[in-house]
Amino acid sequence: MNKVILSSVVTALLIFSGCADKDPVVDADSQSSSRNVSSSQSSDEVVGVNSETISSNETSVLDESVSDSNEMGMANLEKQMESIYFNFDNYDVRSDMQANVSTNANIANTKANKYLIKLEGNCDEWGSDEYNFALGLKRANAVKKSLVAEGVSTSRITMVSYGESNPACVAKTQACWAENRRVDLKLLP
Amino acid sequence: MYGDATIEVIKKADSLPSLACEDSSLNYEKKFKMTFFKALIADLNVISLFNVDRHYNTVEYSDSNVIVQNKDIDYVLRYKLVEGDNGEFNVRLKLFLRNKVIFKKNYKISNNKIYMFVSHTIAYDINEFMGEPSVSWMKRKVIFARVVANKKTEIVIADYTLAYQHIIIKGGFNTFPKWANNEQNSFYYTSLDGIKPTLKYINTQTGKRKNIASSDGMMICSDVSEDGKRLLLTMAPSGQPDIYLYNVDSKKRKRLTHFGGIDVNAQFMGKNTIAFVSGRLGYPNIFSKNIDSSQVEQMVYYGKSNSACSTYKDYIVYKARESSNAYSRNTFNLHLISTKTDFIRRLTVTGINEFPRFSKDGDAIIFIKNYKAQSSIGIIRLNHNKNYLFPLKYGRVQSMDW
Repeated sequence: MNKVILSSVVTALLIFSGCADKDPVVDADSQSSSRNVSSSQSSDEVVGVNSETISSNETSVLDESVSDSNEMGMANLEKQMESIYFNFDNYDVRSDMQANVSTNANIANTKANKYLIKLEGNCDEWGSDEYNFALGLKRANAVKKSLVAEGVSTSRITMVSYGESNPACVAKTQACWAENRRVDLKLLP
Repeated sequence: MYGDATIEVIKKADSLPSLACEDSSLNYEKKFKMTFFKALIADLNVISLFNVDRHYNTVEYSDSNVIVQNKDIDYVLRYKLVEGDNGEFNVRLKLFLRNKVIFKKNYKISNNKIYMFVSHTIAYDINEFMGEPSVSWMKRKVIFARVVANKKTEIVIADYTLAYQHIIIKGGFNTFPKWANNEQNSFYYTSLDGIKPTLKYINTQTGKRKNIASSDGMMICSDVSEDGKRLLLTMAPSGQPDIYLYNVDSKKRKRLTHFGGIDVNAQFMGKNTIAFVSGRLGYPNIFSKNIDSSQVEQMVYYGKSNSACSTYKDYIVYKARESSNAYSRNTFNLHLISTKTDFIRRLTVTGINEFPRFSKDGDAIIFIKNYKAQSSIGIIRLNHNKNYLFPLKYGRVQSMDW
């Protein structure tokens, strides 16, 4: 479905369709460039922004059609899984995190063995560019290797990096930043 | 860019002529008149041709002489804001040099809420009239992702001062927007809402959208070639972030880096060379390589952590972490190098400065400055050695393109 509604830029309406949280609403915007069209006697028309609002649910990727009981079970298991924390600018799994890895591998191989595992790499706020996203991913990949070493099938593991966009803590302290340098484990049906 | 921007500054501020503005408007409230006046002053400052007077004065538009307070000012820009019958925003304008009108022009836009585009156009026209190298980047749009909550972002299109902001994608977790062409009527971005990060494309005029590619772990469009036909992507199909060249027409991709650590943020430098950020020395730094060769060259020998870059011809602007301690008074500053010289020019001094992006013509660099809990967008005029800051209203910028 693709709805197109014309509107002016300032009064542009955002149309939410279906499950709005999952469907990005796209408000299309045409030219805001300026052009010179006239002699000095008349007015130069400065083109601001003419915009149309488009809403669509076609970009939805996740299949959310899992049963409630299934979701409850997944959520409970996720709570039992431990985040893995990292040192500054580093993506090696620390020795003190090995017990958390083993706990996670044990759950993944037993109670959660019918689910996929999504590893979400996160960083502190020092650097919000591509390098930081890559650091988050290398952390996720290090956890993946540790889980695989403990018998979790590599085909069940998917990874993503959120860079610094998913902080667990927002205070500007070293302890807080350390909480953000982590990999979270999520389950997917 | 002319001369060598790493070693010489072409224009000297102390020799600039003075310019003042005179407002002849009868329509609109005082508050809006001041808003427009301030925007115009800011734009006229950014063209870096004048020492711009900041005093607000009013005068009858038809008066043949400039007001007495401005009699010693070289240039006087007198304007009149006129509201049309249908709410149009009109500006009549004339430029005096020593009481003689040397330039006249009228402008019109659909309503006064988008006044900033008129202000930018006036500054652009004055710059053209003065015969200076073009500041067409003033009329270009900025696209950025703004973090509004954990894993929630908005993608926003703005003018170069961020005074005008239009949220083009609301809802979801969308990052790293990049203009897809010089016309700025379409863009790429990364959606992180699905199982795998996915690169998407949207044409803002037609509403056409498509998925370009997905990759486990990471998928970012780092740069778009001048003709819009080739993309530099950071992908990690096996958990390993590397740089790929993607052909938009054939949809074929070619892996350009094979290092076991981090290679990201590739930028075109001419047709067959790229600059990129790599962790191959144990910390992030800037390197370059030919697309068809495996040889990699270190570009920067200064800074302990250089984690972002942008290129224009032989120039590279990069972000360097300048403190030896990761947390105490940790600042990131922008530096400029040329592949033709050994000089380094420091472009910023205080705060956290990041997301440098060259304008298309290399005349200016746009960046984000975070200083004392305030975020601003910055414009660096390389040939004039001047930086201008425009405060950000709310939120934190995740990434930006110009």
